Amino acid sequence: MPVDPSANGGYMVAAYVVTAVILVGYAVSLWRKTRRGRS
Amino acid sequence: MGDFLRVAIAVAAKDLRVERRSKTALVSAMAFAALVLMIFNFARDAAALSREMLGPSALWITFAFSGVIALNRSFALEREHGALDGLLLAPVSRGALFVGKYLANLTFVLTVEAVALPLFVLFFGVDLSGALGGIVVTAILATAGFVAVGTVFAAMTVRTRFAELMLPLLVLPFLLPPVIGGVQVTARLLAGRPMSEIMGWLRILALYDLVFVTLCLLLFPSLMDE
Amino acid sequence: MTTESLAARRTAVQGLGVIGLGLAGLAAVYVLALDHTPVERFQGLPQKIFYVHVPAAWCALLAFSLVGIASALYLWLRDPRLDLFAESTAEAGLVFSVVMLTTGPLWGKPVWGTWWTWDARLTLTLMLFFLFLGYRALRGALQDPSERARFSAVVGLLGMVLVPFVHLSVYLFRTLHPQPIVLKPSSPSLPWEMLRTLLLSVGVYTVLLFGFVMTRYGLGRLDRAGGGDDAR
Repeated sequence: MPVDPSANGGYMVAAYVVTAVILVGYAVSLWRKTRRGRS
Repeated sequence: MGDFLRVAIAVAAKDLRVERRSKTALVSAMAFAALVLMIFNFARDAAALSREMLGPSALWITFAFSGVIALNRSFALEREHGALDGLLLAPVSRGALFVGKYLANLTFVLTVEAVALPLFVLFFGVDLSGALGGIVVTAILATAGFVAVGTVFAAMTVRTRFAELMLPLLVLPFLLPPVIGGVQVTARLLAGRPMSEIMGWLRILALYDLVFVTLCLLLFPSLMDE
Repeated sequence: MTTESLAARRTAVQGLGVIGLGLAGLAAVYVLALDHTPVERFQGLPQKIFYVHVPAAWCALLAFSLVGIASALYLWLRDPRLDLFAESTAEAGLVFSVVMLTTGPLWGKPVWGTWWTWDARLTLTLMLFFLFLGYRALRGALQDPSERARFSAVVGLLGMVLVPFVHLSVYLFRTLHPQPIVLKPSSPSLPWEMLRTLLLSVGVYTVLLFGFVMTRYGLGRLDRAGGGDDAR
């Protein structure tokens, strides 16, 4: 049966935040490694 | 071809002879199997889980863990005595070396399973009538597959520092199809289900064996390269 | 700086550019998914996790296949570039696996009432995670470069072959996951607005994968040329 559209929004937010943190976090770590690699 | 077999059997025989003399690994593995089965029985909530429901899982977990323990010792002896290099210096086919190791490991693990099965029947009060043959065939099929992969990984991890940890970590994903298949078939055989339900699982197990034993045989030489 | 480390650094920097592009795309996907895509009737808001979860699964599987193929090719050709490519792709695959494994339960809990189910797809994703982890652990434990390359290639190849078996076994076992509704031969069951968001997201994630691999590859090359940080 159809649910209230705004219910359980917290899970969605959590998932979107976690995804961004992981992907951006990895990108940043790669960026920092590239900078440090400068001789 | 005759050479190949001769080398393989010689390697296998040597491993098994060493094991037969010391017996430590075999006895430990069997004791381990018994303990696991015991714990399973006490860890179960008797009201919620019948022995019949838990049985097949307990059996196959015992098989899987004992198998991993057995595989750990597979190259341990060579490592301890630095004998691996000596083995490799000999002008023998690497494939034959693999088959020898594989057969030794297979014999070892099957022996542990052969001891675990009667214990299982005893502890879980299982009625094996009619199912014994099927369970034995399934055990052989499943074991043949994961021992092949385990032999290759044991050869690899013996060179690493945390071999006892690395081997289970690598091999556990490869245990999934044999164990899932094993549990499913065992549960169905014990419940007296018709063969038609079981054939699909047996086919997967057989295919797994075919693919992985062949692949491992082909890949083993590249592990021994210099 | 040697020409080799210069070239390596250039690759890494270009990779970073691709990543930047991908992250911009990701922001666009977020806006599209959250603001401009209809809310699904039966699952409500959590269904939108679909747009960050499915592309991650796709990329993890793609990465894993690439590692498998590169591994097989390495065992055949023994070209160290293939080994470095496999190492880089495995790392990216691990990252996407983590995304998959965190967003999956967050989607499952509100929609199916449980954090985890042992259905075919989730089990496979968990297994991929452990394979990536094992691959990485093995590489970390081996010092000799030739040994490291050969051994991890064997793991990569065997792992790739394992995937269909696990999928088949678990699928036979039980399935709770939503049935595939995108890749049907006839028209997909997804309404257009949802499909376009999904496809865009998949595209963006793939760009990110490409960027991650490229950057990591460059860093690895730099490391091997003796010019950089330990990127292992």
